[in-house]
This record gives sequence, structure tokens and C-alpha cells, in this order.
Amino acid sequence: MIHTSLTLLQGTADLLILRALHQGPAHGYAVSRWVRERTDGVLAVEDAALYQALHRLDARGWIASEWGLSENNRRARFYELTAEGRKQLRAEVSEWKRYAGAVFKVIETA
Amino acid sequence: MVAPGAKRTFRFPWRTRTAIRAEVREEFQFHIDMRAAELVESGLDTAGARAQALREFGDQASGAEACVRVDTQVERRVRITTIVGDFWRDTVLGLRLLLRSPGFSVVAIGTLALGIGANAAIYSMFRQTLVQPLPVRAPEELVNLGAPGPKPGGDNCNQAGKCDQVFSYPMFEDLARVPSGFTGIAAHRAFDITVTPGRSAPSEWGMGTLVSGNYFEVLGLNPVLGRLLTAADESGKASVAVLSHDYWRARFNGSSGVVDQTLLVNGHILTIVGVAPEGFTGTTLGIRPAVFMPMSTRGFVDPGSETMLHNRRFYWAYLFARLKPGVSLEAARTAISGPYQRILSDVEAPMQSGLSDQTLARFKAKVINVEDGRRGQSRLHAGLTTPLTLLLIVTGVVQLIACANIANLQLVRAAGRAAEMAVRLSIGGSRGQLVRQLVTESLVLAAAGGLAGLLVAQWTLVGVAMLLPTGAMDTAVTFTLDRQAMLFAGVLAIGAALAFGLIPALHATRPDLLSTLKDQSGQPSGARSASRFRTSLATAQIGLAMALLVSAGLFMRSLANVSNVALGLDTDHLVSFAVAPGMNGYSPDRTRTFVERLEDDLNAMPGVTSASASLIRVLSGQSNGTNVSVEGFHADPDTDTNVRVQGIGPNFFRTLGMTLLNGRAFSPADAEPAPKVAIVNEAFAKKFNLGPNPVGRHVGHRDGSLDTEIVGLVRNAKYSDVKREVQALIFQPYRQDGNLFGMYFYVRSNLPTAQVISEIPRVVAKLDPGVPVRDLMTLPQQVQENVFLDRLISILSTAFAVLATLMAALGLYGVLAYTIAQRTREIGLRMALGADPSQVRGMIFRQVARMTLVGGAAGLAAAIALGTAAKSLLFGLDGFDPLVLSASIVLLALVALSASLVPAMRASRIDPMRALRWD
Repeated sequence: MIHTSLTLLQGTADLLILRALHQGPAHGYAVSRWVRERTDGVLAVEDAALYQALHRLDARGWIASEWGLSENNRRARFYELTAEGRKQLRAEVSEWKRYAGAVFKVIETA
Repeated sequence: MVAPGAKRTFRFPWRTRTAIRAEVREEFQFHIDMRAAELVESGLDTAGARAQALREFGDQASGAEACVRVDTQVERRVRITTIVGDFWRDTVLGLRLLLRSPGFSVVAIGTLALGIGANAAIYSMFRQTLVQPLPVRAPEELVNLGAPGPKPGGDNCNQAGKCDQVFSYPMFEDLARVPSGFTGIAAHRAFDITVTPGRSAPSEWGMGTLVSGNYFEVLGLNPVLGRLLTAADESGKASVAVLSHDYWRARFNGSSGVVDQTLLVNGHILTIVGVAPEGFTGTTLGIRPAVFMPMSTRGFVDPGSETMLHNRRFYWAYLFARLKPGVSLEAARTAISGPYQRILSDVEAPMQSGLSDQTLARFKAKVINVEDGRRGQSRLHAGLTTPLTLLLIVTGVVQLIACANIANLQLVRAAGRAAEMAVRLSIGGSRGQLVRQLVTESLVLAAAGGLAGLLVAQWTLVGVAMLLPTGAMDTAVTFTLDRQAMLFAGVLAIGAALAFGLIPALHATRPDLLSTLKDQSGQPSGARSASRFRTSLATAQIGLAMALLVSAGLFMRSLANVSNVALGLDTDHLVSFAVAPGMNGYSPDRTRTFVERLEDDLNAMPGVTSASASLIRVLSGQSNGTNVSVEGFHADPDTDTNVRVQGIGPNFFRTLGMTLLNGRAFSPADAEPAPKVAIVNEAFAKKFNLGPNPVGRHVGHRDGSLDTEIVGLVRNAKYSDVKREVQALIFQPYRQDGNLFGMYFYVRSNLPTAQVISEIPRVVAKLDPGVPVRDLMTLPQQVQENVFLDRLISILSTAFAVLATLMAALGLYGVLAYTIAQRTREIGLRMALGADPSQVRGMIFRQVARMTLVGGAAGLAAAIALGTAAKSLLFGLDGFDPLVLSASIVLLALVALSASLVPAMRASRIDPMRALRWD
């Protein structure tokens, strides 16, 4: 049970990160805040897991990272979507829509 | 921040694991600080905000570990792709640059290919003949035995070694029994055989090696199929044979059902018991036996020689042994010497008769030789060591010249690119990066040169193969471009790349930035030493080319001397071949009939003017001798009465174009029951003081009666070897020889030789299709094979010398052309100040003359040393030949002059106005 929810969470975290970076380059804290605000805290991802996902996506080449200066002039690591990441985001979004649509259909008819 | 789609133009330095961990920590810390600050803003106290931020973050430690793990993997991947990418980029850039200057590339790659190719080919030959050990277990433990000293009775030796090496078979059996430092002593001896792979298959000529029962055991070989020979086979009654791997493949298609099948050797049936391992071609370089047979088959392998196995006074077997583990060669020699000398003094000395006291003393004092035997036993080792070492030196010199040439070309190019390098250094390119790129360029060049070089090597070996004498079934010695040689070529290529890539690379990246940028047509600092370096390279090339020219000249003259040797016979339009009916089981009487009929049939062939036969093949290295007694000639026991012998047919002198000086030639009537007759040559008459007309005198075998009458005297003619002085020789009619086995035939005709060669097998087949024709070739071909080593050395050394001289000329041209380009302004200034073109030309020629003098003198010294060392290979001249020396000097001077002609002309046409404005 815990295991399945974790894998679901992982895939979801990837999607949320890609979507968050679609707005433009951001550091990890901004991504975390964006997710919390946009989901009204319903889908609060644990930050340690969020950073693991960020580094993993970086390794996959979907996002790229670079050190820069934050709004309060501190050194921060910024992430941005790569062309490949953009493609991946489109694919995952349509997949999610199909998935959610199917689940809805089941729920409506029931 | 990275702009989307933009490639990174520079790289972060590579990060260590500690650095990665610090970065992850910093990232986490930033997050927690930001969150805590946000919570404080929303009203929490500092401590509470911090605690909540930490709680929300979750497990920091394991999160950090996971991130570090992922980042480290990425780092490693990036590092590899960067290295590969850089290399690829440099390679592509190098290729592009090479393509941009095709002239340079063609010359450089060609130069390298020739240098590397020549080296790989000669190294292959050197390794395969002189270095490679036998493909047996622990070859370094093998030793060869030898028995120099007097051999009263008789001896017979072959390709496996000099007559110093042979033992009598009983002596071998005695030595094998005594305790010694050897795990075993083995004996072997190869013979020509006629071999038939099955009853209905055609017979062919090949080699068969007789071996002692423990031969394979001492070598430590395992069969591919069946079993190898054992001690039981030697004493056993059943006739058995082991096939060589090559023969099994060629004639039995590598069939596994070959064991227990039969095969015919000289018409006798043998049972095949096994197949020798792949790659093993016997223990003698130059002899590739088809079958291995136990000594007990000697009687039909070498008909009429059964008694040789028991004769202590006949020496013919070659011996090798394997050292016991831990026993040194010296210790083994000491251990075997005692028993050997005891056998000599106790058993063999009392059997001798007719020896002088001195000879008997020398006989008793004979010592046994024990020498390194890892390469097996072959005369070729001694024969090829000097020539191949010489050729290896020559190709090494060619390679040196090639490298010097390329270094020069690279230096010239690098100097031309000094400005480019300076710019790149000044905008932040690291010196390491530039050096790496230049070295990669050289490696690209070397790779291309190395690949082309392998082709050149292959062609060289094919060319060499055409100069080698033919043997039984295939070429007796084969050279293949082996893996070692390719490795060698690779090492040469990479060595060359580094040698000629690194030095110019370092030179090029050391220019004084300011002066180079400021003044492009001026000379970069260090140019003086660079130009001195280039000049000395070109001078060294001239010297090396000089040395090679002189040695090539010596070998060409030597070959000319060899080719101009008066043979005393007329080889034109002469074809020769051999048949050996004795190898098909013919008795001596039937063989004589066969030979007589074949002689008649050949003489009856249309277009044939004369045909005859002889027992010993002329000019083939074969030689038989005997001791004679001569009427009226007093001989002591130690007097040399040895002469060469030859058995011939009636038309022999006419067919070979030899001149009869006195008396008569043999007729068909000089046959078995008729009185014994002989014809001698001039050297014979001289050796035994027979005067101008020996006809009517009598000769006989030593110790025997003077039962043979001399009926003729012939002019001296070469017998066994082109280069050998004519020795005393006695001819006898083969029809009076009681033990005929096989004969060599000579056919003179007006027809094209190719037609005669195609006709001969049919004439022989009419008499007996089972008797194979062998050694079918023209006499000139045979003469060439007799002196193949002279031809090989002279052709190869000439080719290499021409190559080297061309390269040196190219190097000289490059240096001059470059120097003049560099000195354009100076020359322009001189001309503006009144120097006329001829003075400018003179200046260039003086520079060339200086280089040629210095290089040439050094080269001459080296050449004289080389020539003296190679004296043994020269025929009719010694290492110091004024004609060759002066011809080489003139040739080199001409080459240097023509290489400098164009640059000198160009220099004298420099327009002072343009040169001074040059910028």
C-alpha cells in the first residue's frame, strides 16, 4: 500500500516539477512553493523527495541546472526545462488527462 | 543561467564527490532558510519556524545521499563524453586541416606509409625467421646438439644444419641412454619423398621427416587427431605415419576419419595414426614436412640405407634435447661431455683405420656442442641473420628519415601557424589544449600513415615471396604480416606521431605572444633555434640517405658481379626438371631403364635439339663428394683427395653447352658391363698434377684399385653454386651407377621455354603417370634461385635507398622553401642594397653545399662502417669500393642541387619593393 502510493507519488512529483518549471527557470524552493500554492496544500510533496526528483530529472536531461543568485542575493541552484523536458511534459500531461478521464468515466457511471 | 538552446561554451572544472556533497548541502540549506524566513513572516517565532521548516523538509541525510549518488553518476558520464567528444572534435579538425593542405598530407602520409610499411615487412621476416620460437611447450628449454671434428667414414647433411651438427645413429642411441641433464634427446632427419594420399590419388613430391620415437614427447606436443609417434613405433614392425596439419588439411580436407587410413610413401603403405598440431611444421625452418615417420622406415624413405641406422661411421642425424627443469645449458653440456668422450675413445676410436696419428688424436678430442635450440635447427638461421639484420637497420634508417621529414614538415607548418597559436593563447586557450590538438592531428596523420603502411608491408612481402626459392608443395619459407608486426607498425606510428607531433607542438605554443602578434611576418622568438633544428634535421637526412645509397650501391655491384659470373655453361633455352622413380618403389635397374627411355623420348620431342640427365642438380646447392686415388699421385693419410662427383648421360656436355677440351664425351655404350670410364674438369687435373692432357690416366676410390680410366677433360664450369669457386670434379656415366634412384633432366630446344615446360609432364606421364615431375623450371630461373639472397638484399636495399634519397630531397626542399619564405624581407633588403640575383642564388647554394658536405661526410663514414660489417654478403668486392662511393657522392650532390634549384630561383626573383612592404 505504502509502496504503490510512493511510486504514484514519484511519477506525480515528476509531473508537478516539470509543470512548475514550465513557468520559467526556478530554484528548488520556488518549485516547492509553487506546488504547495497551486494545489492548496493537498499535494504537498516532501521536500527531500522533491530534491531527489529534481536531481534525477537533471540526470535524465529533462531539466538543466546552474548556480545563480536568488532574489535575496544568495547563491541558489536554478533549474530550467530543456527541449526534451518540454516534450516529456506534453506527453505526461496528455497521459494524465486520459488517465483521469477514464477514472472519471468510471466514477460518473457508478 | 543557461539560455535555452544555447550550447555551453566552456565547462566547469570537474567536480569531486566532496564538492558535489557540499553543493547539495548548500542547496538544502538555502531551501530551509527561505522556508523558515517565510514562516517567520507569517507570524511564527524564529525557533518554531526553523523547526517546522526542518520537519516539512523530511529526511535530509538520506535525501542528500540520493542526490549525491545521482550527481556523481552524471559527473562520470559527462567526463567520459567530454573526453571522447574532445578527441572526436580534434580528430575531425585534424582531418579537415589535412584535407585543406592535400600536398602536405599526401607527402606526409606517403612518407609514413613507406617507412612503416618497409619496417613492418622486414620486421615480420626478421621475427618469423630469427626470433620466433617453435610452437611447442616451453621452447626455451630446448637445446641443439652438435658434433664438430673429423668424421671418417662419411657424412650427409641438409637444410637442418651444417655437417658439424650431424651424429651417427648408434651414437644418438648411446647418448639417449646415459644419465644427463636432459629429460630426453630426440633425433630427426628430413628426406624428399613421393607421397600418395590414398590408393587412387595422384602422387606428388614432398618432404618426409624421420623422427626418433620420443621426438614429439621431447617437444611436448599433443595430437589434433589420433596419436603422435612413440618409442614403440621405432622398434615396432608396423609402418605408421603422423600427418602434418597442413598436409592433412590440403589432401584429406581435414577429415576426422583419417586415422587408420593408409597412405603411400615411396610406394610403401603406411598407416596414419594421427595428425600433428596446427602451426607445427617440423623443427627446421625451410622444410615443411607432409608426414612424420619413425626411423624404422628409413629403408624405403631413403632406399638402400637400412644399414645407416647401425653404422657408427656414417653421420646424418640431427639431435636436439630438452633440459631438465633447473639445469643450465652449461651444466647439461658438462654432464653429456663425459659419456660422449668415453664412447669416442672406448668404442669408436678402435674402429677407425687409415687415419694419421694427428687425425686420430683430433678424433678422440672431439667435443659435443650444446646450444640454444628454441628456434629449432636450420641453416637458414645462420644464413639469414646478417642479411635480415642489415635490412632491419636499413629500414630503421628509412624510418628515421621519414620521421625527420615529417617533423620538418610539421615544424614548417607550425611556424606558419604561430600567429594562430598566439591568438588562441591570448584569448584564454590553455597550452595543454593546443598541445593536445596538435598531437591529435599528428595521431590522425599517423593512423592514416599506419593503415597505408600495412598495405605497403603486404605488398613488400608479396614481392619478397616472388624472390624466394620454391620448395616442395609450396614455398618452403612463408612470410606473413603477423600480429606482432602490426603491433610493431602501430608502435612505430604512434612513436612517430609523438616524435613529430610533440616537439613542433611545444615549439608552436611557446612563441612570445607580444612579438608574434605585433609582427606577423617577423620571426617568432625561438625561430633561430627552430631553424637550426630544421637545418640539422635535413642534414641528418642527407647523411642517412648517403649511407643507404652507398650500401645499396655495394649490393647492386655485388649482384652485378654475381650475374656476370662466367658459369661455363649456356643456360639460355634450357629447361630442367627431376623425376625419382625410386620413390615409387622402382628398383635401381628399373629406374635406369626408365631414365634411359625418358632421355630418348625427350630427345625425340619436336623442336628439342638436345636432352640429357644428371644425378646432381646443377647450380642448386646440391653437392656430393668422395675421396679418390689418382694414378701417379702420392697421398698421405691427411692429404686432401676430396673431389665432387656427378653422374651424367651421354649428351650432357652438349645439352649444357660445356666445352670438351680433350678426349671424348660418354656414349650410350659406356654402360654397366663395359670398362669404367670418367671425365674430369680442369680443376681436377690441376689438383692432382695431371698436366694438360689427363686422358688415359686411371683413378679409383680411395683405398681401392685404380679401376676407372679418364677418357676426357672438360673446361671448368660451375657445379653446385654460382658464387663458389669451381672445385675438382669427376663425371661418370650414370649407366655405370649401380644404385640409381632419381635423375635431373635438361632439355635444350628452339621452342619457347613455356611450351617445353607444358609439354614435359605429358612425356613423363606416357612412361608412368604415377611418377611426379618436380622442380620443373628454366635454368635461368634456377640460377636466380641459387642466388636469391643476393637478389633479395640488393633489390630491397636499392628500393629503400631510392626511397630514402627521395625523402631526403623532399626534406631539403621543405627546409629551403621555408627558410626563403622566412627571409623574404632580409633578401629583399640585400637586393635593394645592390645584391644581384646570382649572389642571392649563391647564398642558397652555399647553404645547401654546407648541409650536403656535413651530412654527406657523416653518411660516408657510416656507410663505410656498414659496408665493412656486411662484407660477408658482398661478392667480388669489399666494403670499401671507390666507384660506389664516388657514384653515391655524385648522385647525392645532384639530388641536393635539384632539390635546391626551385627555392634558389624563387629567392633570386624576390621583388625588393614588395618584400620590404611585406606585412
